[in-house]
Amino acid sequence: MPESTTVTTIGSWESDNVTIGQVENALTDLRRHEQRAAVRTSVLTLVAVVNTDAEADGARQIIADLGARHPSRSLIIVAVDDEPDAANGTDASVWVRAIEREGRAVCFEEVVLRVRGNARHHLDSIVEPFALPDVPMVVWLPAGLPSPGDPLMQAANRVVVDSRAVAEAGGDVLARSLTLAKRLPVADLSWMRLEQWRSMLTGLFEGAVYRPFLGAVDRVEVRGNHGPRFLLGGWLLRRLNLPPVRVHLARDDHVSVTIHGVYDGRRGTFTVARLGAEREIKSCVDIEDGPKVEQTVRMREQWPSLALASALTRFGHDEIYEEALAGARDLRLAEGDQMGPTP
Amino acid sequence: MSGPLSTSGENPLAEATVERVAPPAVLVVFGASGDLTSRKLMPAVENLALRRLLPPGFSVVGVARTPMTDEEFRERMRAAVEVSGGGGEDAKHVWEAFAGGGFRYVAGDYSHPDTFKRLKDVLDELDEQRGTAQNRLIYLATPPDTFPTVVQGLAGCGLNRPANDDAFVRIVIEKPFGRDARSAERLDAVVHEAFEERQVYRIDHYLGKETVQNVLALRFANAIFEPIWNRRYVNHVQITVAESLGVGHRGGFYENAGALRDIVQNHVMQVLALTLMEPPATFDAGGIRDEKVKALRAVDVMSPEEVAQNVVRAQYRSGWVQGSEVHGYRDEEGVDPHSQTETYVAMRLKVDNWRWAGVPIYVRTGKYLPKRVTEVAMEFNRVPHLPFAMSQAEGLEPDALVLRIQPDEGITLRFGAKVPGQAFRVRSVSMDFFYGAAFLEETPEAYERLLLDALLGDPTLFIRSDEVAQAWRIVDPVLEAFGEGDLPLARYEAGTWGPPEADTLLDRDGRRWRKP
Repeated sequence: MPESTTVTTIGSWESDNVTIGQVENALTDLRRHEQRAAVRTSVLTLVAVVNTDAEADGARQIIADLGARHPSRSLIIVAVDDEPDAANGTDASVWVRAIEREGRAVCFEEVVLRVRGNARHHLDSIVEPFALPDVPMVVWLPAGLPSPGDPLMQAANRVVVDSRAVAEAGGDVLARSLTLAKRLPVADLSWMRLEQWRSMLTGLFEGAVYRPFLGAVDRVEVRGNHGPRFLLGGWLLRRLNLPPVRVHLARDDHVSVTIHGVYDGRRGTFTVARLGAEREIKSCVDIEDGPKVEQTVRMREQWPSLALASALTRFGHDEIYEEALAGARDLRLAEGDQMGPTP
Repeated sequence: MSGPLSTSGENPLAEATVERVAPPAVLVVFGASGDLTSRKLMPAVENLALRRLLPPGFSVVGVARTPMTDEEFRERMRAAVEVSGGGGEDAKHVWEAFAGGGFRYVAGDYSHPDTFKRLKDVLDELDEQRGTAQNRLIYLATPPDTFPTVVQGLAGCGLNRPANDDAFVRIVIEKPFGRDARSAERLDAVVHEAFEERQVYRIDHYLGKETVQNVLALRFANAIFEPIWNRRYVNHVQITVAESLGVGHRGGFYENAGALRDIVQNHVMQVLALTLMEPPATFDAGGIRDEKVKALRAVDVMSPEEVAQNVVRAQYRSGWVQGSEVHGYRDEEGVDPHSQTETYVAMRLKVDNWRWAGVPIYVRTGKYLPKRVTEVAMEFNRVPHLPFAMSQAEGLEPDALVLRIQPDEGITLRFGAKVPGQAFRVRSVSMDFFYGAAFLEETPEAYERLLLDALLGDPTLFIRSDEVAQAWRIVDPVLEAFGEGDLPLARYEAGTWGPPEADTLLDRDGRRWRKP
């Protein structure tokens, strides 16, 4: 979160074994009695679904940082799955907060609901009463993908996932993301974090001198962890219309992409790479018998809230992401494997 | 399916939602040792680099008379950016990258062909060493009287034309674009002898402000405003560009400019055009600029008699501004003690088109006004019949929509509401929307935005030659009246909203200025 931003709590309320109506009333009362909260500028209802209290704390922190960019009503649902036989019930905590920067303030509301019993399979019925009128509802799944037929997806206008976090937990993540993206607009935080690589790589081919090399690519090398390297590899495969055999992926802790091509008899090498553990990215263009230039820049700040904030600015299908997923699938098929984490 | 990819058009990797990086290019700055370069251009370059929007190999060449080495120039710019609030640990890489030959300096007289020959040699070297692909963005950060000399010098060395079909040469020209219609025409002629209009980027930094662009978003992205944006509903429009500062150390410059040239001919006319224009068919440079020109063309040109009726000019005398006692204009450094230069202008403009016929546009701008504010206020007609007694609606003003451009960017809607209580009384209330309350995000500085647009070849937020001509067409008769002494120079106390004559201008129409 930017240092100049402060968050203050205007009011709060909590109670166990409550009805949704009681929570709604509490929220209304908190706003009614505090002038600062009376004016609200909301752009969306954000629903985060987690499984543990610790995950809920993490999500709350990220949402607090997010308030400055996307004032919203946020609903954090802890779908408690370690008490399978528990009776239906909901414990609730409600906060109304103000986030302030340079004398300006934005108010936002935060509701944490701990849902037990079978109600956790019907979260749509819980979130609908809290949905703000006329603004989109975004469902954020910090560490998972929705199960097929999850009714909560019916209520969502957009789903935010993090394929990297899910991949760490195991599973055929990118294939499931592709299936999900065919049904609903999906924002993948892993894809958002790759934006600076995509932007810088694209920038290397701006201008008529370097762009022709994109039509003469003979090898692409992408290094990184499973999700990022498949997403970037799939993106380049599809955008550059390459056969999978020209895209080479390798495991690495840090992302790097190199594109090789020969145009007009000269070999050109274009690289964007993170420099080890340093938060720096180096981009380089090397043309045989021509210019060799490079630049090192600081990586964009990676507060967790930034990727989420970026995801929340878009509401339609991200066709380029979906193409990248399809490209990732092609690469896995070419490897004769299913899309899953590389050991 | 895979196959050969056509790369003759757009970059296949580009995405509409991802910020575009500038193409490889050299930024050539004339006036490199001047204030504009160190205070605005170099911080913009640093910020663009920090935002990863400049490509590797991007280079800067400064040109000025002051003798300096490449290294001295780079260090001087680096220090200047730090003074402007930039620099720091993150910027280290930016300047290190420039240290590898990406920051060059050519010292020389603009009237000497050798200066341009040496510049050409440096540019050729950069193309070879840093792959800048013969792309040049030439920025004239020099006093306006040097523009013709620099333009002719560039043309004399062939630096005005791209070396091939794939390269670009663009020239950025700072306001003022001439001193009047005739000199603007002459300047255009000189520029057009060397550059085609599509190469020319006339910059008014106002257009780079996020909130000025928001006027377009508000008008054309919302169905509820456009239907009432016309003579049937709007009673009159007030455009205010108020400054809380005096002329400071710019007295010498200001003496030759005045508020009409300094603010009205450019900033005010741009805001006015965006406010009055018709919806563009396409949201691109051609579409938007065509409509702006049409709007300006519809503004009525005043006869000398009409100038006397509809224009007020004034100059500040000493007073108190925001708790400080300040000098009068004639006591400022570099100002003639008998100066007749206006520091305040108020005008009543008439627009002859279907949408705005009969709706007066009141414009005012001045120095040492009580606060710094730029806004456009649309005041709407009153309801045709008020169904309660006048005593019940004493505090009811006409509805108004105010677009606040700076400093508290946002929108205010003033409307009538019932005062709580047993009695039925109605009064006006203001509903304020602050952009800052919906988006606390940092927005790029105007110069940063405009510099990147020029590098990317997007002229939407730059002023086209015919826009300049139309703005002068409106302002010229007023300037002539000023020059011939046909309009008395009123005086106003610094720290007030202008002279009483400006109030009379609206009083006559049964209206009054807003207090922003």
